This record gives sequence, structure tokens and C-alpha cells, in this order.
Amino acid sequence: MKLAAYRIRCMARARGLTLAKLLEHAGVSRTAYYSLARRPSVLPNSVHAIAGALGLHPVEILEEPSAVMDDTVAARIDEARAICEKEPRASFENVWHTLCLLASPPVERLNRSLTRGRTASIHG
Amino acid sequence: MAAPPPFTDKEAAFLRALVDERVEFMVVGLAAAALQGAPAVTQDIDLWLADRSDPRFREALRKVGASYVPPSMNNPPLLVGGGTELFDIVVNMHGLGPFEQEVKRAIRIRLGDVEIPVLPLDRIIASKRATGRPKDRAILPALEDTLRTLRSRHKRDG
Repeated sequence: MKLAAYRIRCMARARGLTLAKLLEHAGVSRTAYYSLARRPSVLPNSVHAIAGALGLHPVEILEEPSAVMDDTVAARIDEARAICEKEPRASFENVWHTLCLLASPPVERLNRSLTRGRTASIHG
Repeated sequence: MAAPPPFTDKEAAFLRALVDERVEFMVVGLAAAALQGAPAVTQDIDLWLADRSDPRFREALRKVGASYVPPSMNNPPLLVGGGTELFDIVVNMHGLGPFEQEVKRAIRIRLGDVEIPVLPLDRIIASKRATGRPKDRAILPALEDTLRTLRSRHKRDG
């Protein structure tokens, strides 16, 4: 994945900026920018190596940092998996939903239950 | 615009009045299960009272401007007015011991500024098993999985 130098210039111009001004706003030195722009890939070699070992393009093993998939969510998924491993009869979905509900205060859990009960009541 | 949540200050005021008047009660049923983290859906909050003729219960109702309608041939006991419509009065809890015995196991859960007694999940499950109604049987797996989750947490946290 190479830096799209021409596209960056065009986008800067469209916003009324020279490349120098853009770099100044971004807090990136000209040396760092041109060093990046010259590289055949801005991704570390290890990313290419892992993707290659999987027979994938590097972009396929990258993801945006997500507000949802943070450490808390990852820990909750691990906890749900661990419970289901110890309790083979447990449904991952039920355990997962319980862990999500336990993360909110009791009044929110109650309101969630009642709100859903108003729209689609199965259980009384 | 989203509808306001069903449990508002009015409902909380009624529970606070019950606690302030020292009425012997517990939240039971699926609302109690939801409070403990079960992914359960319900339309009302079931209250199990030690004694429906307790004058303290009448006083709590009076405080919030509500009334008690005793059961008759065609209708169960009802609460009307003062934000009490969300609450149902439970007369019998199948598969459980008497109120005096069960209330000793009640857990206390904080709802806003009031702490209320709630029937523990294992006893809710026992009651649902005992009724044997299809809708109760249907929710049992979810309740049992919540209980497994709570026990796992309890073991982990000591």
C-alpha cells in the first residue's frame, strides 16, 4: 500500500491548501512525508508477511479501530466463550446478552425488558 | 421521537413509598429476572406481597394517589392511578415456599434512589418450572443461562 501522493495534492488543493500548508496543519514534517511517499509500501513488512502467509492482500487483514470492538467488548466475548466452554449446555447468545445487560445499571435492564415487552410480548 | 421509558419517576415513587412504609414485598417474575441481567421481555412488574390487607400497603398507595382493586370473579387484583398501572399483584407463586420463607433469600437491587427486595433468579426459575405453562417453559433456557453466567461471575470475583 503506497501513499497516494498525487491524490493528496489534489485533495489539499480542493481545500485551498498547498502541500506545505497541509503538512503544517497535520504536524508532519516534509522529510517524513517525502520519506513515506518514496516507500513502495507504507505498511510494515510484517503485515505483508502475515497477509502473504494467509494468501491474502494486506488490506484484508487490516481494520479500522472501532469504538464498538474495544478491549471491554473483546474481554466480554472471551468471558462468554469461557462460560460456554465450562457449561456446554449454555447458549453463547444468552450468555453474551446477559453479560451485555450486566454492564448496564438495573434500571436500564428493566426498561429494556419493559420496552421490548410493549412492542413484542411473548412472555408475560 | 423515541417513546419514554416505561419505568419512570412515578413508578420509582411507588416503590419508594412501599419501602418507606415498610411494606413486606418482593419483585418477582420476569421483571425480577431482567433486573438480574436476564435477556427477558415482560410487560409488567410483578409484586408479591406478604399481606394485601396490610394497612401500610394502603398507605403507600395513598401516598402516590393510587388505589387497590381487590380480585373478583373475573379480574385479578389491580392497582390503578399514581403510576402503578405497570405493577401487577401476584397472589400465588407456584413451586415456592410461603412469602415469609422466600423473602429471607431476597436480594436487594438499587433502582435509582431506592433499594428493593427481588426474588433471586434460581427461585424465579423454580417457580417458572413449577407452573409448566408453555410461555414459562420457553423462557427457561435463557434464565438458566443467565444463572450460569451469574454463578461464573460470582466464582471468578470470589
